[in-house]
Amino acid sequence: MPRMKLTRRSLLKGAGLLSAGTAVTFMGPWRHNRVYAAASDKPILIGLTSDASGQYANSGASDRRGMLMAIAEFNDRGGVLGRMVETLHVDTETTPATGSRAAERLISRNECAFLIGAVSSGVANAISQVAQKYGTVYLNTNSSSPTESGKNCHRVKFVWDGNGTNFAQAAVKNAINAYGTKWMLMTNDYVWGHNTSAATRTLVEQYGGEITDEILVPQGTRDFSAMLLKVQQGSPQVVAAAVGGDDQKAMRQQVAELGLGESMAWINNQQDWPDVYGLPLENLFGVFGTTWYWKLDLPGVAEFVQRYQAAYPDTRMRVPGNVFYNGYMATRELLSAVERAGSTNNRKVIQELEGLKVSAQDRMQHHDAWMNPATHQMQQTIYLATANSGTGDADDMFRMLSQSSPEEIRDTGADAACMMESLDETPSYEM
Amino acid sequence: MSHILPHLLNGLSLGLLFALIALGFMLIVSVMEVINLSHGSLFALGAYFALVVIDPDFAWLGSFGEAYRALPLPARYGLAFLIAPALVAVVGMGLEVCMRRTYGKKAEYGLLLTFGAALVIEETIRVLWGPSEQYLQVPRDISGAFLFGGLIYSKYKLYAALFAAIAIGLVWLFLERTPYGAIIKAGAHDSEMVRALGINLTRLRLLVFGLGAGLAGFAGIVLTPIWGLRPHVGIDAVIPAFLIIVLGGIGSFSGAVTGGILVGLAVGITGAYASDWSLLSMYLLLIAVVTVRARGLFGKKSVLEA
Repeated sequence: MPRMKLTRRSLLKGAGLLSAGTAVTFMGPWRHNRVYAAASDKPILIGLTSDASGQYANSGASDRRGMLMAIAEFNDRGGVLGRMVETLHVDTETTPATGSRAAERLISRNECAFLIGAVSSGVANAISQVAQKYGTVYLNTNSSSPTESGKNCHRVKFVWDGNGTNFAQAAVKNAINAYGTKWMLMTNDYVWGHNTSAATRTLVEQYGGEITDEILVPQGTRDFSAMLLKVQQGSPQVVAAAVGGDDQKAMRQQVAELGLGESMAWINNQQDWPDVYGLPLENLFGVFGTTWYWKLDLPGVAEFVQRYQAAYPDTRMRVPGNVFYNGYMATRELLSAVERAGSTNNRKVIQELEGLKVSAQDRMQHHDAWMNPATHQMQQTIYLATANSGTGDADDMFRMLSQSSPEEIRDTGADAACMMESLDETPSYEM
Repeated sequence: MSHILPHLLNGLSLGLLFALIALGFMLIVSVMEVINLSHGSLFALGAYFALVVIDPDFAWLGSFGEAYRALPLPARYGLAFLIAPALVAVVGMGLEVCMRRTYGKKAEYGLLLTFGAALVIEETIRVLWGPSEQYLQVPRDISGAFLFGGLIYSKYKLYAALFAAIAIGLVWLFLERTPYGAIIKAGAHDSEMVRALGINLTRLRLLVFGLGAGLAGFAGIVLTPIWGLRPHVGIDAVIPAFLIIVLGGIGSFSGAVTGGILVGLAVGITGAYASDWSLLSMYLLLIAVVTVRARGLFGKKSVLEA
């Protein structure tokens, strides 16, 4: 038997081969490297990236309650694929930079399988860039800049709220006919405000109207008196406001105080329920959009409200609103997609969500909804509403005016603007 | 000119409100040499206390509660202006007691303590009153709108500016026309000398902190019917307050008032003609002033400075 001679060269060669083999087996190629032990009893960990402070703190809390109720319902039924679902929340502080850090931490340090949550479009965009880098499926539950499913779309991101263009489509034509062609824009000076007002401007001009002025509202504005004097000096027939969160609350209070809500028509792109709940009805002037209302006369709505009240008996908000609804629906559909996929493999889950169709009954809306595979935005019913001044029920604040089907209010611009990464370019993982 | 006049008047009223926010902050910084980062939270706390005073919803109050709530709103609103700032002053004094261990140490200790206090107060508000938006009622007589020169103005904003002007006047009288004011000013100038003259500096600091906190609470009651009331509303107050006292000169009453009015005018006019610069304008104003006068408009060299 020949004796093997161990030389320095053969030792180095062997070590080199061993290292390369190890790298190929366990680490590469990079796009497919995250396969974690998915034992049947290992919980599925979901990172909740909702705001607990800053401009959208209140909406963030409502969003989170929606997600948690959906998760609790799955866990009560034995979990997803026999595994319990656990959550980890990081406050994204309504700040894009914090959103990036939170996403990075939840994915790389805490090994979350999915991320859910956003109200601010700036934050959602920041989170989704990190999520795409790792291939982590991310649900943008409540931010509604058209760019979220347009130029900032990503393969891993799914957008569940109606966007500024959808709401403008629902409102602009009717408002021009009803109130006049001379419009003024009030625009929150960040991504959602700019894109929503741009969509409104396009539609106003398309239908023969004229934008006489655009007032930019910096985020954090609390005193609107100078801007409201400017509005009066411009004397428009319609003011289209894309102002959100705490800014919107302050603006509403000051517009109501001046009685400007009655002296000119106001189109408020979307009205999030947490922003107005509990405020005097006078503050709820004008026409505004929403994706859902707790008093829709549809099957399942009353029972859904009861489930909310049972889950959150102590919350000051006695009935759920659109933000809660979006958080709940997005989470429910994600977990259902995991069940249908039979795996947490991100590519399988993405494919399931891309083919998602939900009946009107299941959505508790007037029309069937479906996920647009080209933009990853949920195509759904959009409602227009105004203040419900003739009721004794303090929680029944909205009077629904109209509902539009997903086809009527479709954001075709997003289809053209969205250049999504291919599935093959998206890193894969399974947890 | 007729086009800009409404914006000048609006900026002036806004300036008085900014000056009111900065007053309490100025008092505490000048006497204690502590940047009170909890000023905003105390501002919010004042408004929340007023909420309770105006509409106390406690079953244990029994028939007294019912009788109290039957009082007309102006009476309860007036009481809120007395009781809520007093309660905030008590909280402020409690905070001052906690701060005593930081005196004589690096400024960071005081900063950290007041920052921590701000977080504690904000979370306490969230626990007690919930995270949602609240609405501080104001009497019908001082709310609504009035027409002037073809434009609609807020009646409450006018009254708020009036309340601010009265508060500023009272603080000026207190500082300039009473022996206590003289002691506070002397304490701000050279606290060691004040102690050497036999004045109880510990008590002086306690009272000044209480007064500063009470003024923050008062400003909260005046401002939140305009800004809205939510647990984190204080952040909207503490930043301009800090900026105004640096702009006007630390420790200077005239500086705080002038700084507030200049900031109000800057925000009001840019809000009308370059609204995207309206918040930034106050920072640009600060940069412009401290570039020329590092101590601010009315800041004086302290005897303690080298």
